Amino acid sequence: MPQARTPGPQPVIGENTGGTTNHGGAPYGPSYCMTQQKTIEIVRVTHLRGPNIWTYRPVIEAWVDIGSLEDHPSNTLPGFVERLSAWLPSLVEHECSPGVRGGFLQRLYEGTWAAHILEHVCLELQNLAGMRTGFGKARETSQRGVYKIAFRTRQPDVGERALHLGRGLVLAAIHNTAFDVAAAVAELQEMVDDLCLGPSTAHIVDAATARHIPHIRLTAGNLVQLGYGSAQRRIWTAETDQTSAIAEEIASDKDMTKRMLQACGVPVPHGVLVGSAAEAWDAAQSIGTPVVIKPYDGNHGRGVSLDLESRTDIEAAYALAHAQGSGQVIVEQFIRGNEHRLLVVGHQVAAAARGTTLYVTGDGVSTMNALIDQQINNDPRRGRAESFPLNVVELHDSPEVILELERVGLKPDSVPEAGRQVLIQRNGNVAFDVSAEIHPSVAHAAALAARVVGLDIAGVDMVLENCALPLLAQRGAVIEVNASPGLLAHIKPANGSGQPVGKAIISHLFSSSHSGRIPVVGVTGSQNTGRIARLIAWLVHISGKHVGLACSEGLYLDSRRVDASDSTHRDAGERILINRTVEAAVFENPCATILGEGLAYDKCDVGVVTDIGWSEGLAHFDILDAEQCFKVTRTQIDVVLPSGTAVINAADAQARELADLCDGAVIFYALDPANPILLQHRAQGHKTVFLRDDAVVLASATQDIVLLRLPHLKPAKAAQPEMVMAAVAAAWALGITPELIAAGLRTFESNPQKSPY
Amino acid sequence: MEVTRIRALRGPNLWSHHTAMQAVVACDAAECDVAELAGFETRLRQRFPEISAFQPIGQQGQVPVARVLELAALGLQAQAGCPVTFSCTKPTLEVGVFQVVVEYSEEAVGRMAMDLAAQLCASARAATAFDVQAALHQLRDLDEEVRLGPSTGSVVSAALARQIPYSRMTEGSMVRFGWGRKQRRIQAAEIDATSAIAEAIAQDKELSKKLLHAAGVPVPLGRSVRHADDAWQAAQEIGLPVVVKPLDGNQGKGVTVNIQDEAALRAAYAVAAGFRDHVLVERYMPGNDFRLLVVGERLVAAARRDPPSVAGDGVHTVAQLVERVNQDPRRGDGHATSLTKIRFDEIALACLRKQGFDADSVPDKGQRVNLRNNANLSTGGSATDVTDDVHPEVAARAVAAAQMVGLHICGVDMVCETILRPLEEQGGGVVEVNAAPGLRMHLNPSFGKGRAVGEAIISSLFKPGHNGRIPVVAVTGTNGKTTTVRLISHLLAAQGWCVGMTNTDGVYVGGHCIDTGDCSGPKSARNVLHHPDVDAAVLETARGGVLREGLAFDYCDVAVVTNVGTGDHLGLNYITTVDELAVLKRVIVQNVAPKGMAVLNAADPVVAAMAAKCKGDVTFFALDQFNPVMATHRAQGRPVVFVENGQIVAAKGAHKHYLELKDIPVTHGGAIGFQVENVMASVAAVWALGLDWATLRAGLASFRPDQDNAAGRFNVFDYRGATVIADYGHNPDAMVALVNAVKAMPASRRSVVISGAGDRRDEDIRQITEVLGAAFEEVVMYEDQCQRGRSDGEVMALLREGLAGATVTTRQHEIYGEFLAIDTAMDALQAGELCLILVDQVEAALAHIARKVQAG
Repeated sequence: MPQARTPGPQPVIGENTGGTTNHGGAPYGPSYCMTQQKTIEIVRVTHLRGPNIWTYRPVIEAWVDIGSLEDHPSNTLPGFVERLSAWLPSLVEHECSPGVRGGFLQRLYEGTWAAHILEHVCLELQNLAGMRTGFGKARETSQRGVYKIAFRTRQPDVGERALHLGRGLVLAAIHNTAFDVAAAVAELQEMVDDLCLGPSTAHIVDAATARHIPHIRLTAGNLVQLGYGSAQRRIWTAETDQTSAIAEEIASDKDMTKRMLQACGVPVPHGVLVGSAAEAWDAAQSIGTPVVIKPYDGNHGRGVSLDLESRTDIEAAYALAHAQGSGQVIVEQFIRGNEHRLLVVGHQVAAAARGTTLYVTGDGVSTMNALIDQQINNDPRRGRAESFPLNVVELHDSPEVILELERVGLKPDSVPEAGRQVLIQRNGNVAFDVSAEIHPSVAHAAALAARVVGLDIAGVDMVLENCALPLLAQRGAVIEVNASPGLLAHIKPANGSGQPVGKAIISHLFSSSHSGRIPVVGVTGSQNTGRIARLIAWLVHISGKHVGLACSEGLYLDSRRVDASDSTHRDAGERILINRTVEAAVFENPCATILGEGLAYDKCDVGVVTDIGWSEGLAHFDILDAEQCFKVTRTQIDVVLPSGTAVINAADAQARELADLCDGAVIFYALDPANPILLQHRAQGHKTVFLRDDAVVLASATQDIVLLRLPHLKPAKAAQPEMVMAAVAAAWALGITPELIAAGLRTFESNPQKSPY
Repeated sequence: MEVTRIRALRGPNLWSHHTAMQAVVACDAAECDVAELAGFETRLRQRFPEISAFQPIGQQGQVPVARVLELAALGLQAQAGCPVTFSCTKPTLEVGVFQVVVEYSEEAVGRMAMDLAAQLCASARAATAFDVQAALHQLRDLDEEVRLGPSTGSVVSAALARQIPYSRMTEGSMVRFGWGRKQRRIQAAEIDATSAIAEAIAQDKELSKKLLHAAGVPVPLGRSVRHADDAWQAAQEIGLPVVVKPLDGNQGKGVTVNIQDEAALRAAYAVAAGFRDHVLVERYMPGNDFRLLVVGERLVAAARRDPPSVAGDGVHTVAQLVERVNQDPRRGDGHATSLTKIRFDEIALACLRKQGFDADSVPDKGQRVNLRNNANLSTGGSATDVTDDVHPEVAARAVAAAQMVGLHICGVDMVCETILRPLEEQGGGVVEVNAAPGLRMHLNPSFGKGRAVGEAIISSLFKPGHNGRIPVVAVTGTNGKTTTVRLISHLLAAQGWCVGMTNTDGVYVGGHCIDTGDCSGPKSARNVLHHPDVDAAVLETARGGVLREGLAFDYCDVAVVTNVGTGDHLGLNYITTVDELAVLKRVIVQNVAPKGMAVLNAADPVVAAMAAKCKGDVTFFALDQFNPVMATHRAQGRPVVFVENGQIVAAKGAHKHYLELKDIPVTHGGAIGFQVENVMASVAAVWALGLDWATLRAGLASFRPDQDNAAGRFNVFDYRGATVIADYGHNPDAMVALVNAVKAMPASRRSVVISGAGDRRDEDIRQITEVLGAAFEEVVMYEDQCQRGRSDGEVMALLREGLAGATVTTRQHEIYGEFLAIDTAMDALQAGELCLILVDQVEAALAHIARKVQAG
C-alpha cells in the first residue's frame, strides 16, 4: 500500500490514495499562460529517489503549467472524458479521492484539472507497461495554473517518459486528435524490460521489502544490495554473495558435476563424452540404449535429443548436438520420465516444477504447423514474452522438434492421418508447479546435489517418472545442477499459484531477527546540524562501530574525511550506505536535499530535528514559509522506525506536532528545564535531555543522569549547549552509555588537526 | 624382461608412505643377474650415466634387470626434476618374478618413467640407441603440463606444512583441502567463499570504481564512452592526460596510457574498441604501477611492476638489445619463471615509434627504451617486491578495496609515485581490482624477496590450529571388521555426527546407503572423505584396496585391527603366508597419525606385534585381563580394554570405565565372545576419539544385533519359540567363533545350514564342517548356482568329507538351493531349539528368513 499523507494546508486537487480532496477553486491572481492554445507545459522534472514530501518511495515530481486549461476542467471539454476512458479503459480501477472503483472517472465527470488527470494517466501508462505502481498526487503551487504532480515510479527514465507520453495523450484527448495508445504502451514496455529489474530479481526484492529490508540497486542491471552497510547482502538475479564462483565453475562442467554427484551417492545417468558420430554409436552401445545426446556445454535444451535407439537417430542427433555449443557432445543413458526442476535454496528445496510432454492429434486435414497452432499454441498461457509461463512452439525455430518429427517420418507441412498422436516435445517448459508433491528422498537428493557442487542456490534438474515416489525405486536421476537458476517457472507457473521462492531466498540471506539494517541517524533543521551530525558520528565511533557520515562538513569514514566538499546530497549518502565496512551511518539532511532528491535512506533509527527553519533558498521549491517547511521537515520524523527514536528540540513551536508523527519513541531536549513540552513529556515517563545548573541531564522515568557540566567542555562546544544536547540525545537513543557519551563529548575535536603521516 | 600389472599406489601402501608405481617384472634366467649379461651395465651407464649404483638383491648378491628398471625409473624422474627418492625391488615366490616399486610425484610422469626405463633397459640389452636427453625432455614437459602451477602449488605446499590433506579436483588448478564437512576448495588464487558476484564486480571497472569511491579509496575519475567523439568529449571533461581501455579486458590488452592529444586519443579508442564494445576513458595517473595482494583482511605482498625496457649501448639495435635481454636464463616462455621474455611484437614496435625509434634504431649508450606501456609480467615486464615499504594508509586502502568488492584474495592495482606515502597526498589511486590474481610476482619476484602468499591463503581458509581433517577410523582384520565398523559408526552417530562409513556391504553417509557392494577399497573411502556432509569417517580397509592402490588417506586417527588369526584369502597377489598378510593389514597401523591411536587385539600375537610399527599410541584389548601383552601395557599406564566380572573395563593408569555386558545387546549378555571382542575394539576406538562415556553407553545399548545394523553378522531371530541365527561366516576362524557363541546360548537341540564358497581351498571347506560336526546335532548342507569355478557336487563332497568324523552330528541333509535348505532347517524347528544359518546370498537370504519369521 502506498503511504498517503494527510493533506497539508496547501490545496490538493487530486490524489488516488483515498485522502479527502478539495479544489481551492478561487484562482490566485492572473494566469501566467498568455496563449489561448490549450496546452500543458512541463516546467520541471525531478526524480525524488528517497523518502520525500509526497511519500516514502521514489517518485517523479513534475511541475506542470496547464495555462488556459486552468479555466477548463474536464467536464467542460466536450468528449474529453469519453475519449480518455476509451483509450485507457483501465482508468476505471483508479479509486482516487472517492475511494471506490470508478472514483477517478467520477472526478472526471464532475470536473477536475489537467495536471491531476496527467498524474493518473502517467500512473496508468506505467501500469499498462507492466510497472505496477499506485501512488500519485497533484497540488497547486503559488502560481495560478502551475501544479506540482508526483507519481510513483520504479525507474526514473520510464517515469519521465511516461510523463511525456501522458502529456501527449491528455492533449490529444483534449483536442480530439489521434493518439496511438498501443504504441506508447509498447514503447514504455520495452523501456520497462530494458531498464527495470528483471522479474526474478524484482520478486526477490519484493520479498525483501515485505521483510522491511531496504535495497539499493547497484547497477542498471540486476545487481541489488539488500540492507545497508556492513549488514548488506548482494544478489544478482538468483545468485547471492554466498554463491561461490568455484561452485559455479563446477556446475558449468557437467561431466565433473556428474562425477562428484555420483561419488556422493546422488543418482546420475551414466554418460560418455564423444568426438564423432561413430563414437556416439559405440558409446550408446556400451551404455545401453535408449540414450540421450546433447552438447557438452549447451543450454535451454538446444541440440538435445532424447530416447534414441537406432544408429541413424543417434548419428543425426550427434550432428545436431555438435552444431551447438563448443562442439563437444555427451552420450548419456536415457532416464524415462519427466524433467523436473527443483530449486534449492540454502539446504532445502524451495520449489519444484515439472515439464510436460506435448502431443498433437492429427485430423487428416491439417499440417503439423497448423495442428501445433490449433492444439498447443492456442493455450493462453503460451506467448513469446518472458512473462508467459509457456513458450510458443514454432517448428522453424526448433530443430529438435523437427528431428523428433523426422524420426516418425513427418515434416512441418506433413498432414498426419486423423486420430494419429504425434509427439512434439518431451520436456517442454518445466513450468508446472509440483512443490507440494515432492517425495523427501527426491528433495534430499536435490539438496545434496547442490551441496556437493557447493551452491547455496541451485536449480537441480532431475528426471523422474513421479516426483511423489521414492527416488531410487523409480530409477530417477539428477541430470544437471544449474547456478543462477531462473525463478519464473516457480513464481509464475503454468498451473496453480506461485511459490514464495523470493521469501525463501531472503530467509536464506537474513535470519528472521535481521533486517539488514545498521543504525542510521538523520539530522534535519537549520541549527548547527552539520556539527551535530559530526558529534553524533563521533559518539557512535567511540562506542566501537565503524561509522560513515555525510554532512555539510564533508564525507567521513570514522575520523577520516574522505571528501571535504558539502556532502548533504543523496549520492554522498548512498556512498555511506553501500560501504560494506560501515556499521552505523549519520546523515545531515537540509530541507533542500529532502525537496530536491529525497532522503538517502528509507527508514532510520534516530531522526533529529533541531527546528523548522525556513530559509529563502527554499523558495526555489515553492516552499514559501515555515508552515510549508514543516511538511518538509516532518519527512525526517516520518521515516523513524517503530523501534527508533525522534530527537526533537522542544523549543520549536511545532515540536509537539512533529512528535505526534513519529512511529517510534520521542526524546525532547531543551535548554530550559521548565519548557512545558519537555515537562509534560517527562511527566509521562518519557526521556528528555535538558540543561540544569550548566550540566547536561539525561532524564528518564527512573532516574536523572547528570552527564557532565558544560564548563568541562572546550568553548566551541560549551557555547553550543543545544547542539551538544541534540547529539547526546541521539547517542542515548542509540543505546550508547552515558559514560561513553561524556567521554566522547570531551574528546570530540570540532576542528581536528590534519593527522601527520 | 616382461613388465606387467603396472599400478599406481595413490596413497600410503605396503611399501612406503609415498605415492608409487608398482609393477610385476618377470626376468628370464639371464636377466636375473646383470653380471651374466655381457656389457649390459656398461651400455646402460653409457646411455644413462646418472643412474645410481646397482645394489644386489638377496643373499646371492645378484642384480636382476628388475632392479635396474627400478633404479632407471627413479633416476629418470629425479633427473627430470621430480622430487622422488624411494624405490625398491622385492623377489616373489616365483623364480625370476619381482615386484618393483618406484615413487612418483605425478602419476602420469611415473607411468612414463616406468615405460622409458623399460625402453632404456631393452636398448642396453640389445645395444640399440636410446636418447636419454629426449626422454628427460619428454618427462619434464609432461611434468610441467600435469603438475600444479606455481600459484596453486604454493598454496598446496602451505597446506601440507600445516598437515592439511589435499586432493586435486581437476587436471587444472582446482584443489580440495581437508575432508568431509571441513573441506574447502580453491582454484589457483581463488577461494570457495568468493562469490561469482564479487568476481563480476571486479570485472566491471565502472562498478568497482563506484564501490571503491564509496569506500573512500581514491580512483581515477572517468566514464565509459560509446564512440570516438564521445571519447574525446570525455577526455576533455576529465582533463588530459587520460587512459583509454576496454571496459572488461584483462592482462592489459588494448590499454593505452598517458594520452595527451586528440589524435592519440582516437587511435587509442580504436585499439580498445578492437577488444570490447565498451571503452572507458579515465584520468591518467602518472607514476609507477604497483600490485598489492590482499588476502582476507590483510595486505600480504606488494610489488612494483616495471614495463619491459632495454638500455642502449650505442652499438646494438633495439632488436638486438631485446634479443640479448631475452637470453637471460631467468626469462622463460611461460608463467613458471620470475621473468618472461620481452615480446617484440606490433605493440612493442608501436611503443618504439612513440619514442622515435624502430627495430633497427641504435639507442645511445645509457638511453632507456621502453618496449611496452604496461608492466605486465606476461609481456616481459618485471616485478620488484616492495612489501616492506607499503605505507599503512596505502595498505588500508588496498584492504578496503578488496572488502568493498567482496574478494577474499584480491590483486589491487595502484598507480602512484611512491608506495611509501599515502595515495591521497600524491594524487595516486587504485586503477583496478583483480579476482584470482597471479601470485608469481610475489612468490618469485624478479627482484627482492619472495613472500609467503600460500601460507596466507591457507590461513584465510583454516584458522590456526585447524587442519581441515575429520576423525578417520580405519578398521581391518580377518573377522569382525564389518560389525566393528558398524558399531563404531553407530557410537559416533550417537553424538549427533554425520558418519560416513564404508564396509563390504556398501557406503553409508548419515545412515543413507549411497553405494552397495564391496566398498572396502580406497575409492569408496575417498568418496566418504570428500562428501560434504561427513563429520567423521569409519572405513573398513580391506586388503584388496591396499594392494591395488594404497590407502585413501595419508593418516588416520584410529586404526583398529580386530584379528588376523589363520588368515583368509591366502595365495592371492603374492600374499601367501599369515605373516605377509599381517604386513599388509599393518599398513593402517603404520599410518596412524602421531597423535592417533592403534587399537590392537592383544590375544592375537600377529596383531599385537603391530604395536611396534605405530607412530601414535596403542590401546590393547583382550577378553582375558591377564593377557601378558595387555597386562604389560596396562602396567605402563597405557590404555587397555578387557572383561572383568561381566563388565567391559576400559583402563588407563588409575582411570577405569565400566560397561555392563548385560546392557550391550549385541553381546547377548556377554555370551557371544567374538561380539564382546568387537565391542571392546569399538569402545577403544571411540574412547581414542574422546567420545563421552554416557553417549557411548547409550550407543552400545541401542545397537541391536538385527539386520538393520549389520546384515549377515549374527542376526538373531525368534521363530516359533526357537532361536534362528543368520551369519555370513565364511572361514574357519569365523566358524570357530560362531560355534563358541552358539554353544554359549542355551538350546535343547542345535542345527546348522551350511554351504561352502568355491573359491576357498579344499582344506578350508572341509575344515568348516569338521568344526560344525563337533557342535550341531543336525547339519543341512546345500549347494547353489554360485560355485565360483567348481563343478557341481564338488563343494558338497568336500563338506561331506569334513563331517566324516563328526562327534555330535547325527543327521545330515544335502540340498540344492539356499532357500530350500533354509526352509528345511527352519520348518523342522521346535520351541527351545536353535538353528544357525550360514547365509551366502546375504540380502536375499535374510529377506527370506525375515519373511518366514514374520509369517510365524
